[in-house]
Amino acid sequence: MALLEVRNLVKCHGDKTVLDGVSFELEEGEAKVIMGPSGCGKSTLLRCLNLLNEPTSGEIWFDGEDVTRPGVDVRALRSRIGFVFQNFALYRHMSVLDNVALALRRLKKLPTREAEERALEELHRMEMADKRDAYPAALSGGQSQRVAIARALAMDPKVLFFDEPTSALDPIMVREVVTLINRLYLDNVTILCVTHDLSLARHISDRVVFLDRGKVHAEDRIEHLLERNDEVIDEFFGGEG
Amino acid sequence: MQLAAFPFFADLATYWPQIAKGLRDTILLSVTITVTGLIGGIGVFGLSLSSKRIVRYVTQSYVSLFIGTPLIVFLFLLYYGLPNLGVKLSPFVIAVLGFTLNVSAYNARYLTIAYKGLDQAELESARAQGFSQFQVFRLITAPQSLRTSVPALTNQAIQNVKDSSIVFLIQYIEFFAQMQEVASRTFLFFKTYVFTALVYLVLVSVVVLAARRVERKLAIPGLA
Amino acid sequence: MTFVDILLTLLRGAGYTFLITVCCAATALVAGLGIAIARELGGAWLSAVLSAWVYVFRGVPMLVLLFIVFFGLPGIGIDVPPLLAMMLSLGLISGAYLAEVFRGAFAEVNPNEVLAAQSMGFTRLETLRLVKVPQMARFAVPGMVNELTTILKFSPFAYTVGIPEITKQAMALTATTMRGIEIYAALGLIYFAIYRLLLGGVRLIDKRYSIPGFAQE
Repeated sequence: MALLEVRNLVKCHGDKTVLDGVSFELEEGEAKVIMGPSGCGKSTLLRCLNLLNEPTSGEIWFDGEDVTRPGVDVRALRSRIGFVFQNFALYRHMSVLDNVALALRRLKKLPTREAEERALEELHRMEMADKRDAYPAALSGGQSQRVAIARALAMDPKVLFFDEPTSALDPIMVREVVTLINRLYLDNVTILCVTHDLSLARHISDRVVFLDRGKVHAEDRIEHLLERNDEVIDEFFGGEG
Repeated sequence: MQLAAFPFFADLATYWPQIAKGLRDTILLSVTITVTGLIGGIGVFGLSLSSKRIVRYVTQSYVSLFIGTPLIVFLFLLYYGLPNLGVKLSPFVIAVLGFTLNVSAYNARYLTIAYKGLDQAELESARAQGFSQFQVFRLITAPQSLRTSVPALTNQAIQNVKDSSIVFLIQYIEFFAQMQEVASRTFLFFKTYVFTALVYLVLVSVVVLAARRVERKLAIPGLA
Repeated sequence: MTFVDILLTLLRGAGYTFLITVCCAATALVAGLGIAIARELGGAWLSAVLSAWVYVFRGVPMLVLLFIVFFGLPGIGIDVPPLLAMMLSLGLISGAYLAEVFRGAFAEVNPNEVLAAQSMGFTRLETLRLVKVPQMARFAVPGMVNELTTILKFSPFAYTVGIPEITKQAMALTATTMRGIEIYAALGLIYFAIYRLLLGGVRLIDKRYSIPGFAQE
């Protein structure tokens, strides 16, 4: 069984159907990108997978478990998924080190020394260890995103979710972060990334899940998608590629 | 002027024991209600974030009511009203009770204002990490709201010192009440009350200095 | 005596409550505006003196100041009628708070607009009158409303100098009927109602006079 299996996921918001029967799979060590025009439901999809949004119907199987069943341990699920947000969402009242170590101390209940050591490991990996005592307000966008990734990796998640990781960054920082995520991908970290950035998609994806109006319009490698002469896809990429 | 002031200071010396007691009682009351008002305020603030609509509604009504009515009216309600229900409380307890309910409402309002300025993405991120609602409150919401509200909360502490002067109206004999007695015995109303004002200024100034230090220590780095 | 009777008896003092609030608010506005403008125009020395004044009036409890004015001044030969005593205590204290509100509001005025006015050749006084004060007034509205409701909430203390406003009515009524709970509950409701009316009134005025595109939350 795949690490993540989504079967017919439906999410309604009032009388609007945001997700209309989405199905796909993600194997361990795989990287997939979710793309699509605004309003296609990609951010909602990501938030349903760790139950930040409650799915209306459908099944989500994570690591062999049906997490849409009643009585599921939501917090345990979430601690196995690393989530990186578009605007980094670093805790502004804590230093970089504390940001990364917080979950280790309060969720995994590690003693402070151990938690900080583990946190520093991840910060080293993201080349941000020298900023351990800095506060988020003092960091650039690229640096903030690196800390956010370190924070997500510190809990040893089974998969990393990215929600538009480069949308809030200027072009130079975008390249910085793309290189980083690419490195994670080459390290066999399982990745699910929502983005509209084509270069990012190219650098990390094995396959792209193309969403349109709440449905999976297509799923394939980027080159194949662009070769298809599909109207919806071509309009989204607008002559790129 | 020197000669005219001299009997006044002599009078002060005569009445010093009760003045000192009054000062102690004022400080005791001020510190007590500042602490209880802060704890109460945090509690009410926490309740205002409840997922249950009825809890939120009751909390907001409570805050609205206490912010919209004079403190002295509520103290009178307790002081003159409770005996009718057979409840006999000392003026000090009534003062603490009345002030706590009042100050908690204001503090909760300040915390709510700070909360509205928080980055909701940080709270979502905390939930995404797997923290419980209570943990999100304890680790992110409360610390950020508190540290952002420090100026308003310390201002409330200063207000508490000044407002403590009204409790003589419900027969709690603190510093102002003692000075009123001194004035009526010596007939030096002007000098006595000016001296009273100066003492309050000193008390307030002490709190202001302490508040500045607290503000510097607790301000979130990088935030305007 | 029903609850409604209690309310009606209390409301006999409403005129005085209104009078006190309006007079103190007027005093506060004049004092606060005067101090704020003097600080904007004046030199370092004047500003320092005014800042000291503001500090003192924000640090003294209102009742203490009231007693100084009403009970103390006669002792050195100055007799002050009750309403004036309220204006000189509550009014001046609120004026000091307003001075700080206005100081903050002046700081929020767009400096480019001030520069534009000065480049057009307006004097400091004219710039102040035509650009700074009108703009500052908009930023100061929340602070002014806050101070107005505070004045309302301190108006009960007028009873200590004999003004028969609604709190005094409540105390007299309690003394004769001993129905403290109902009376003070009614009193609280009346103040709360006046408070809400004030807030609602301000919101209406704000809507009528809002400048298009100049959003205030």
